[in-house]
Amino acid sequence: MDFISPEGLRLDGRRPLELRQLQAEIGVVEKADGSATFEMGNTKVIAVVYGPREVQSRSQQQHDQALVRCEYSMASFSTGDRRRRGKGDRRATELSLVIRQTMEAAILTNLLPRSQIDIFVQVLQADGGTRACCINAATLALADAGIPMRDIVASCAAGYLNSTPILDLNYLEDSGGGPDLTVALFPKLDKVSLLQMDSKIPLDVFEKVMNLASEGAKAVAQFIREKLMENTKQLVLAKGR
Amino acid sequence: MNANEYRTPGEVLGWASEYVAGGGTYVWNQKVCASVVGIARITPAAATAEDQKPTIEVIREKERGPVPEPGTVVTAKITKLMPRQAAAAIVCVGPKAVREKFTGIIRQQDVRATEIDKVDMPTSFRPGDIVRAEVISLGDSRAYYLSTAKNELGVVSATSDAGAAMVPVSWQEMQCPITGQREPRKVAKVV
Repeated sequence: MDFISPEGLRLDGRRPLELRQLQAEIGVVEKADGSATFEMGNTKVIAVVYGPREVQSRSQQQHDQALVRCEYSMASFSTGDRRRRGKGDRRATELSLVIRQTMEAAILTNLLPRSQIDIFVQVLQADGGTRACCINAATLALADAGIPMRDIVASCAAGYLNSTPILDLNYLEDSGGGPDLTVALFPKLDKVSLLQMDSKIPLDVFEKVMNLASEGAKAVAQFIREKLMENTKQLVLAKGR
Repeated sequence: MNANEYRTPGEVLGWASEYVAGGGTYVWNQKVCASVVGIARITPAAATAEDQKPTIEVIREKERGPVPEPGTVVTAKITKLMPRQAAAAIVCVGPKAVREKFTGIIRQQDVRATEIDKVDMPTSFRPGDIVRAEVISLGDSRAYYLSTAKNELGVVSATSDAGAAMVPVSWQEMQCPITGQREPRKVAKVV
């Protein structure tokens, strides 16, 4: 199948190096300590953060750092065919783990001993790149909750189809069979927090795709920072100072 | 570095050799970086301080709900009367409404300052009364310990059987404006 037309346009009309439209909203759940929705094109994810709060089960309490928990789930209406998706299946467990590890690396857990931070992520609309979108939403929600972080985490996916590196795959491209790579990084520290790829590709191609995904993640980071600034300014205005 | 600017986590604020890292910041590779979203503030070191470096901190804009601390005066609603103590739900800490649920307990010996062993709980409070109380300790894991053993502490608002807001007549009684019925309470002297 042709994923790139002779004019150099992808199936959804983007150029190979183009991101989808990003949208984000902060503070969508009133009761939670922090919450956000993040959209990358048609992929939409909501993340909700509770904490730092008291550890629910004593045995899990850590005396020198915070306990970070993450629960990923997919709404049954998020995909084309309506399907009951629990939070206990293999995919969800793996994603919960990946998101937890990525966020735990960002949070200054040693500042919040004996406490627990819960991150709940739910996919509302799935159109490829849910992994990256979940991490971005979780970052925004954590920042909204005021949890101290080393740096914001930004994530983006990239792939390699029709001998071309492609940024931010959508569902059709994702199921196109080519390699698919997700990167999460700390843009200011310039460190990689997550790198996932399940296929074999030549090293030079990998480097191209990896660089592309990192560039994408940096662009996402810029967007997240702008959103956070905007939100903070609104909070200041709301306080009337 | 410019002060009073909005900062997001990870942004470099300055060199650790020139500044002291305050709240909302951390030191990484000899640089002071922000760890929360907020406004960066620089406060010069106190004249007496040994280290004459100014402090950088990042102040969050989103406020957390207030939390009762020992010594603070809270407003609480009596939820349950027991023979030796009254349970109350804390609704305000000082002038601020709380966001989460906090429970408090007023023990028999903490109701008033004098004759503390003769206190009778049903003649001091009724469920539904609004009381002003001082937090005396963090209590056990379930509830804060509250005290009304001061003139200005005690019931500030109560409704009678007839459903009207009662008027205080002495420090131990309140009267219903409709029926004229008097009910015993530990009344607060509101100044």
